[in-house]
Formats: sequence, structure tokens, C-alpha cells
Amino acid sequence: MKIEAIRDSLKASVLAREDLLGAEVEDIYASDLMSDVLAFGLPNSLLLTGLASQQSLISAHMAEFKAVVLLRGKRAKDGAERFATEHSMVLMSTRLDMYDACVRIHALRDGNGVQPKELGTTQAVDNILLQQKFQIEGNDFSKAGYVSTEVKSMLKKIGVDPVLIRSVAISCYEAEMNVFMHALRAKVDLTVTPRLIEVMLTDEGKGIPDVEQAMQEGFTTATDDQRALGFGSGLGLPNIKRNTDELQVTSEVGKGTTLVMRFFLQRPGS
Amino acid sequence: MKIQELIQNLGLKPLSRFEDRDISGVFISDMMSDAMANAKSGNLWITVQTHKSIIPAANLVDVAAVIITSGKTVPQDTVELADRHAIALLSTDQPTFDLIGKLYGLGIATS
Ligand SMILES: Nc1ncnc2c1ncn2[C@@H]1O[C@H](COP(=O)(O)OP(=O)(O)OP(=O)(O)O)[C@@H](O)[C@H]1O
Ligand SMILES: [Mg+2]
Repeated sequence: MKIEAIRDSLKASVLAREDLLGAEVEDIYASDLMSDVLAFGLPNSLLLTGLASQQSLISAHMAEFKAVVLLRGKRAKDGAERFATEHSMVLMSTRLDMYDACVRIHALRDGNGVQPKELGTTQAVDNILLQQKFQIEGNDFSKAGYVSTEVKSMLKKIGVDPVLIRSVAISCYEAEMNVFMHALRAKVDLTVTPRLIEVMLTDEGKGIPDVEQAMQEGFTTATDDQRALGFGSGLGLPNIKRNTDELQVTSEVGKGTTLVMRFFLQRPGS
Repeated sequence: MKIQELIQNLGLKPLSRFEDRDISGVFISDMMSDAMANAKSGNLWITVQTHKSIIPAANLVDVAAVIITSGKTVPQDTVELADRHAIALLSTDQPTFDLIGKLYGLGIATS
């Protein structure tokens, strides 16, 4: 489906990247829960959400979405417009609610018969070595998602397979959000060798008393305020698990938590 | 349309005990405060939120039923609370967007 056709059927106004309206999206994802978007959203989708904050845009970007539609006439908040502009996502706003928006897109799709496309092709990755340190300050929520965004664009620059970048980006973002929600601050080390990408995140904070329990889908200690932001469905760590080739979680109560996430690079011919 | 009829038409899984009643309109949101503010009495509330705080919300706004989409596992305390307040708590494996395609096919209009 062309984004432009969706815009027309939703009578949406375009807030960012009008130049990309000609692009196609392959699926629609309707949700206000950002962990859900990260867990189930397919690349090249369009997000329908009532959450107008920059977090929606960052989640959509991590999940490789092409467009975001804010529902019920919501205005973009924080740096949402700028983020969409910088990261090549069409940002639109419609007066419709989620139900009506879904219905119209279904009607549009039934008329058009969309063809799902192949995912991006694997690019060769060889002879790369990258090392970068980042710092996450957990008290400044407006900065949530910056490190993941940075990691993502660095990996893109050196030509890592987009499918793998997506896994790294999603894992980083969930881990980063956990620092904002559950810890104080963290150091992040990104290392890329020809064989693997490793992201090590070491936080200072309350730690996790029972890691095994924390890894379970649905387990959360998130507060109501955090849920209101669309986080706190207890999907973050399971989502990281699903997206990594190797994951180590170690934690000491009262001190902090360390996550080592490894992603294996596929080299041509191996 | 009534809840039982909807369950049969869409192959939904009922999780709680409830009294059958009429459905008028649909409201979709995963944010509690949003549902509290905008869902109407008799609506079908569609969400991926499974935390037990959805039940008091559903009760308060007097929705006809809550449908949990995307095959989310619903915690036991949420089901128990739904039982206690006789809130129809239903689930489906389909994501929200796909379910709406079916609902729309059944001709249920928005609130
Ligand atoms: N860095 C951390 N420091 C302390 N506790 C953590 C940390 N990361 C996770 N936890 C604990 O593990 C639980 C599960 O984390 P997980 O990321 O799976 O879900 P969540 O953050 O609660 O919700 P979401 O689905 O939005 O990610 C958290 O609720 C928290 O109690
Ligand atoms: Mg989390």
C-alpha cells in the first residue's frame, strides 16, 4: 500500500517527510504499547498509535517502520517531528480513532490487494572493527532512545545487514528503556568484529533480585506512570532474548545489572 | 449484536464469567488513562494490556466486553478480578488490526 493512499483514506495531515509519501508499506500495526511494536511489528510497516510522544517514533524507527499515524488529532509531542524528519519516517495525524482508521485501511487494502514484499537482502560484512562507548543518564527521560538510535546509525554506516541491525536496535532499545524505567544510569560498549556485534550495557541501580523471573514474558514491576507511557508490559527482556544470538544477564541487588548481548554476523560463504 | 454472538462469529476465547449483553461500538486503546477518558458504556474495548488494572477501568466505564488481542497471556489475577466483577474478558490470537478487519466485516460500527 502506498503511504499516500493511506493518507488520503484517513484524511490525515502530514507532519513530517511529505517527500516520502510515494513509498509503500507492507503491513499495519495498531498499538499504543511500544514493547508490542518492538516485539511484533514487521519491518516496513505503518504504525497507528494514540501515543504522540517521541517514544512512538523511536520505537517505530527501531522496528524499521516507514510511517507513523497519530490518532484522534493528536499533535506530535517533544521532538517527534524532528525525529521523524531525521530518520526518514512519514509522520501524519488524523482525527479518526484507532477503530475507524483500521477499518478504512482494511477497506483500502481489500480494494487493492497488497503483495507482501521480500525483506531486505543481506549485505556482505567483512573486515570491520568498531568500538564505541556511550553513556545513559536515566533521569532524563527525554533522551530515552538516543543511544539505540546512535548504535543503529553506526551499524548502518558500516554496512551491516539491515535485518541484523533491526535485531540489535530492538535489543538495545529495550535494554536502554530498562535503564530509564528501572535503573539510574549505564555505560554501553559497542564492539563490532568481523565475527560478531557485541553490546554490553552495565547499569547502576537497584538490580534484579530474580533474573529468571524477570526474563519471563509479562513479568513487570513497572509503575502506573510508566505504563501510561506505553511501557511496562513485561516484554522487554523476552524481546531481547528473542533478538540476540547470545544473552547474559547478571545482576547484583543494590548495585546494578549487566547485559551482554551478542549478535553473530554472517560472512559471505560461511 | 450480543457478546455470545460475537464470540461465535470471531472465534474468541472467553476467559471469565459474565452476563450476555448488547454491544454498541468499539474502542481501541492500550493505555488505561485513554480508555478511562474515551471508552463509552456498552463499547467493546480492544487492547493488548493484560494487567489487572484493566478490569477496574472496564468496570468503571461499563464496557460490554474486553478483548485481549495478539494472543497475550492474561495473568490469573486479571481473570479472577474479571470474574468478580462479571466483566466479559475475551481473547484472540489475532493482532488488533486484523481483528478489526473481521469486526468491520460483521458490521459493528464505532461508538
Ligand atoms: N536494568 C534493570 N534494573 C533493574 N531491574 C530491571 C532492569 N531491567 C529489567 N528489570 C526488571 O525486570 C522486569 C522485566 O523487565 P522487562 O524489560 O522484561 O519488562 P518491563 O521493562 O517491565 O516492561 P516492558 O515490556 O515495557 O519492557 C522489570 O519490570 C524490572 O523489574
Ligand atoms: Mg523493559
